[in-house]
Amino acid sequence: MKKKIFTIITLVLVAASSCKNLNVNPSDAISTGTIVTTTDGLTNALNGAYALFKDHIEFNGLVDGNNMYLRQFYHLSDFASDDIVCGQATTDPLFYSFNLGHSPAQGNTRYYWYVSYKIITGVNTVISAVEKSGKTDAATNQLLGECYFLRAFCHFNLVRLFAKPYSVDPNASGIILRTNLTDPAKKARSTVKEVYDSVIADSEKAAGLMTWRGPQYASQAAAWSLLARVNLYKEDNAKAIEWSTKVIGSGKFTLATNETFPALFANATTASETIFCVAFTAVDDYGKFGSIASMIYSDGNSGWGEEFASSSLRAAMAPHPEDVRWLYIIPLKDGNGVVQKKNGIEVYYISKFSFQGGLPNLSSPIMFRIAELYLIRAEAEAKMGNTGAALDDVDMIRKNRNLEGSLYNKVVPAGKSALDVVLEEKRIEMAFEGHRTYDVFRNKRTLNKAYWGYHLAGVKETDIDLSKTPAGYPNITVPYTNPRTIYYLPIDEILSNPLATQNP
Amino acid sequence: MTRKILLICSCALLFCLKGFSQSLPVTGRVVSALDKQPIAGVTVSVKGTSNGAMTKTDGTFSLNVPAGKSTLTISFIGYITKNVEVTGGQTNIQVQLAEDVQQLNDVVVVGYTSKKQNELTSAVTVVSSNKLKDVTANDIGTMLQGKVAGLQVVNSSGAPGAIAEIRLRGVSSVNANQSPLFVVDGIIGGNYDPNDVESITVLKDAGATALYGSQANAGVIIVTTKTAKQGETRFEAKISTGFRTADFGKMKMMNSNEMYDYQKERYRDYIVGAPDNTYKIDLAAFYREYPLSLRDQDYNWSKESFKSAPIYNFYLSASGKTEKNDYYVGASYYKEKGTFINTNFERVNLRGNSTYHFSKKLDVTNNINLSASQGKSYDYMDMYYSFLNMPWDNPYDANGQPRYVDSSTPGWQSRDPINPLHTIQNSDHSYKGFNINYDLGINYRITNWLTFASTNRVSASFDKSMNYVSPLTAGTYHGTGYIDELNTLNYGVISNQLFKFDFKMGDHAINGFVGGAFESSKIEYSGGSGKGLPEGLKVLNVVSNTQQVNGYNNKYILQSLLSQVNYSYKGRYFVSGSYRYDGSANFSPNNKYGGFPSISAAWLASNEEFLADNSIINNLKIRGAYGFTGTQDIGASRYLGLFSLTTQYNSLVGAVPYQLENPNLTWESKRQINAGIDIGLFKRVNLTVDVYRNDTKDLLLQVSQPLSVGFETKWDNAGTVINKGIEVGINSTNIKTKDFEWSTDFTINFNNNKLSGIPSDIVKTGSWGISQIYRNGGNLFEFYMPKWLGVDAQTGAPVWEKLIYNTEGKAVGSEKTSNYAEATTQEMGSALPKYQGGFNNSFRYKNFNLRVSTYFNYGNKVFSNNLRFTLNDLGDPKFNQIQLPDGPKVWTGPGDTQATQPSPQNNTNSTETSSRYLKDGSYFTIRNIAFSYTLPTAWANKIAMKGVSVGVTADNVATFSNFLGQDPQTTITPNGFSTPGVSDFKYPNNRQYLLTVNFNF
Repeated sequence: MKKKIFTIITLVLVAASSCKNLNVNPSDAISTGTIVTTTDGLTNALNGAYALFKDHIEFNGLVDGNNMYLRQFYHLSDFASDDIVCGQATTDPLFYSFNLGHSPAQGNTRYYWYVSYKIITGVNTVISAVEKSGKTDAATNQLLGECYFLRAFCHFNLVRLFAKPYSVDPNASGIILRTNLTDPAKKARSTVKEVYDSVIADSEKAAGLMTWRGPQYASQAAAWSLLARVNLYKEDNAKAIEWSTKVIGSGKFTLATNETFPALFANATTASETIFCVAFTAVDDYGKFGSIASMIYSDGNSGWGEEFASSSLRAAMAPHPEDVRWLYIIPLKDGNGVVQKKNGIEVYYISKFSFQGGLPNLSSPIMFRIAELYLIRAEAEAKMGNTGAALDDVDMIRKNRNLEGSLYNKVVPAGKSALDVVLEEKRIEMAFEGHRTYDVFRNKRTLNKAYWGYHLAGVKETDIDLSKTPAGYPNITVPYTNPRTIYYLPIDEILSNPLATQNP
Repeated sequence: MTRKILLICSCALLFCLKGFSQSLPVTGRVVSALDKQPIAGVTVSVKGTSNGAMTKTDGTFSLNVPAGKSTLTISFIGYITKNVEVTGGQTNIQVQLAEDVQQLNDVVVVGYTSKKQNELTSAVTVVSSNKLKDVTANDIGTMLQGKVAGLQVVNSSGAPGAIAEIRLRGVSSVNANQSPLFVVDGIIGGNYDPNDVESITVLKDAGATALYGSQANAGVIIVTTKTAKQGETRFEAKISTGFRTADFGKMKMMNSNEMYDYQKERYRDYIVGAPDNTYKIDLAAFYREYPLSLRDQDYNWSKESFKSAPIYNFYLSASGKTEKNDYYVGASYYKEKGTFINTNFERVNLRGNSTYHFSKKLDVTNNINLSASQGKSYDYMDMYYSFLNMPWDNPYDANGQPRYVDSSTPGWQSRDPINPLHTIQNSDHSYKGFNINYDLGINYRITNWLTFASTNRVSASFDKSMNYVSPLTAGTYHGTGYIDELNTLNYGVISNQLFKFDFKMGDHAINGFVGGAFESSKIEYSGGSGKGLPEGLKVLNVVSNTQQVNGYNNKYILQSLLSQVNYSYKGRYFVSGSYRYDGSANFSPNNKYGGFPSISAAWLASNEEFLADNSIINNLKIRGAYGFTGTQDIGASRYLGLFSLTTQYNSLVGAVPYQLENPNLTWESKRQINAGIDIGLFKRVNLTVDVYRNDTKDLLLQVSQPLSVGFETKWDNAGTVINKGIEVGINSTNIKTKDFEWSTDFTINFNNNKLSGIPSDIVKTGSWGISQIYRNGGNLFEFYMPKWLGVDAQTGAPVWEKLIYNTEGKAVGSEKTSNYAEATTQEMGSALPKYQGGFNNSFRYKNFNLRVSTYFNYGNKVFSNNLRFTLNDLGDPKFNQIQLPDGPKVWTGPGDTQATQPSPQNNTNSTETSSRYLKDGSYFTIRNIAFSYTLPTAWANKIAMKGVSVGVTADNVATFSNFLGQDPQTTITPNGFSTPGVSDFKYPNNRQYLLTVNFNF
């Protein structure tokens, strides 16, 4: 008996005191060292970079449905524009885009900044690994090119939101450029010009490396499109024309027609216009709490449905009720066909981010489509004085929007410039797609928000008289010189990186 | 072999008995000096022999003594041992045992061994079960509040089954675990039911905690479960039942009329900058939008969502001793309904403790604890709407059922078309789990000075939780439904092997141990989710779309060598040293190992001759301890650069940058110095004073990164935090007569923490842009935000402070600004209290007992984040608002210097993070009042009971605080979404009223 007990004790002792392997590896993550040394790893890292455009990743220890790159990409730009009206005051920071009550502590800019740089860090890791490996096969080149493209795309979107337009002041403070992994964490902002230079260099490099593997991924055409857009913003109009012509001329993409346009946005991944979209699949349907659509559309339950197509945009479209672009503006009507109001504001839902697979909150948002390239070229031509060419491109769009009867035919209407015509067309064509505010301010124009909505400080339902134009409220017009045309750098950056100066 | 040993023992015993063939019997009875009740199980032995007996239930004993005079030693745990001169043949010896108030000779379980109280060289507090049981809870932490000097207990949630947060001597780690290490029956970790607890020992300084090395930075709490004390089988039963109500603190929402009047402020004729403002309220316009009839609709959403809820606790135990076996069996059942509707928790726990004495040399202990629990949790959004929905909206339809509401519901006044009562009725957030612990202990006395002690535990638990939302609910899952399930399997083993030695040579005594320990555990998670469920079914099998699965696991390994040596001289001078060497899987290969030494000493001056028989001072001890503990409890692989593989793009796996690399990451180490004095006066008053200084070096910190590197934080060892403090514990028997007794326990702990050695200021910004700063000379968890200066009397705009700096960067003045972005971010006080403690009194009159426990906490700040919604200057006019204690003084026009709340017409950024919502978190709470009556023994005997007591208790009776919001007890754990000291819409704490009946038989 005693012996048995001792045997057991000895065994336990030996088992317990034998040196165990003290290495533990995480079960659902791999080390950076591993990821950069396998092709599979690099591909996964690139997929991860795309995923960050659509994922709600943890921020401040919390996965918050409000926090999604694309959701904020649209909120921060279009909610500040005259295309979307706020139907309900809210403590959600998206309200600050309407009323210009910006704060360095607002959660949406903080997350947007963070996730942008996470994408950049991810692709920088891949770039550095690929360049170290010296590989130049086609697959590796495509991979590398997509990484350069995503870096350029993210830097450019940041500089649009957080810095003055290039055309206003190229030497103004831009954003923090992250083009390699070895830079110190604390780094000053580059100038707007330096950022544009870097974006153009990255895009050109990307264009040279990539071909095409579907609209869900960056491609040579996407890089050309980005170059066209960036050069337009930079007012290098010749370059803008050159790049946009390359895309149009590639023949790969065609304008959706009167018939196909209504289904374009629900079927972005297969549409003829799509150059680059961020692919959402069924599992990426975030419903009410985190989709792009839920703020601007609701079937009664699917969303919050608090922001609508503005009366200003609808007025601009009013002369042409036959325009197929109206199909993305859905009035909420009662049984008698009367448009319903929310807090005194007429409810015109926006459906450009709905109905992929019939689901009210699902779409694959389009980052570049061919229509924009026509409009980029038109704007650049207009600025170079080539009115006819500019209006031809505009007419190209209108022909495919059921406006064959209302073409300009190279004639600028009285009282307008060619640029006016192009910008009006672009406003309608690209509405809600994150262009309007930039187009107004970089052209040194003034945004006119003299319509009823909760962007007006202290407004209440009984103040609203839709037959009158509101007056007297602060910020009812926003000139490009208003410092609040751009956002404050997030508090986290300012407090942890003393080299980064805050916007005025 | 055992049979042989048994034989030898029996022979020896027989021989002994034979040796005293000249003996004569004596009989007698032992009673308590206090209540004259008989005491059973008292050991009565003849001094100088091994001859002894135990008292029976009626207190009587009989044993043989040698003819002539001899001395009986009468001893019982918790009583002062008495020696009585007897003569052989004497009968009816009456012995009264006095309760040992000082409990100096009690054996205290410390670390891997136990010591007599007077041999202790370090700061240790023991709380016995009778001081714990006034509070009925499922959690021992809740029971400890206010009872141990230096122990801060925060009940931040009143959710069913919630457990308290415990901090010992302030906070000394930031991102590593701050909760004390729990050790159950000598083994780290473990599961137990509070009813099974015999005593709690809190180890406070390194003299005691360094033995736990890298797991002991936050102190150690040792839980000892019950074992048999006496021979015959004893049963104890306890039945508690009562109810709980939600305590909203000052979170009282407006009713219909108050809301109605408040909304008028929106109708003030004021457009910022307009020349023709009248600043008058346009009542005509107001009545158009808000007809008077609204005032007739008055619904209290929080009242409808929070109901008083029953609670039950049953406990039954049996214990006893035979020659071979000591056993204890306990069964508990605990059930509470939550005050928030459709929440509850229940748990059943079974424990069996047994020690089998195979021989005089070999004891084997088998302890097993089984528990199962289940409950229903809640969805945060449901609670959010329960506070924020408007009092004008009726939650019920004509049939009295929660009504379905969506954006087409006419007349709905609340911000969002959500009826939380309807959602709750159509959803299910349930969880269940079971847990098994098996402890095997082997104690083998190899020689009279050397013992081999092995303690081992195997544990396993399985938990499952589910969130289900029916397709019938309004909102995002309307028509589709949603379900997710998460399964968690947790298993591990702990093994300690020690050789213990014990020598005595004259006045010198030396003992200690050396050994090894091994811990390993693994948690495996798996789950799935999906949408498209048919109505009425709620399993994963029936989801039709958006199916997702998940699964991952974590592993933990620690191996250690440990040793301790204790030396004492003449029972007056004590020295103790220990050393532990830990290897942890959490660090890189170069930093896996760390050593943790300690030394402590004590002088028991009252054992010196000059204090012997001193009538004033009956105990005087001076103690000192110095040592190191550490922390590695940050999770595995924090030193690696990592890409997480948990996402997908276009249905292909995606890897996302997840963690920055830091190969140098190493142990956080805490140097602890403690000096203490224990004084006992008049055998009635015990005073313990400890002063300490704990320097935690190489703080394991998630150092904030500029967001532009793509990471929020990086794990690093940065800076030192010094906690300095003094803690005082007094327990005093103020009055003690035959019928009346009054005793008082008082504890207080002043703690100060300072940061140093931080390379540059670290500002952590959490949700809602709430920041805290770590800077040299500053405190932990120091809020860092603009300072609120109220309202601009001329414009009604919110005003913050803007500091003016000179060229050297020194603040030389300040001005007011209404531009939030311009306001200066500044230190605004810490979430940690300056002092906290408890003041507890108990009274006994005859068989009546009354105990009143209170707890206080002073000097911390709490950010009341829900004010962002409930005090929002009508920035979102469709949320219900808080009733301000002094009424809202909203700005009425230029020159209104009395206004405390900004104008709804000019409130830009008024709800942004600032000291406006940062409130004083000090409070004083009457934690518990317990009143009980013990039935006279004669009555109890009539119903075949040995003792019966009946009691009523009230918990969380009243809290006194200036805090505006739910009660000021707020989480101080900086993990996940919670910034320490930030109070959000939380499950309110409960008032609890209970009736308890105890039976002993």
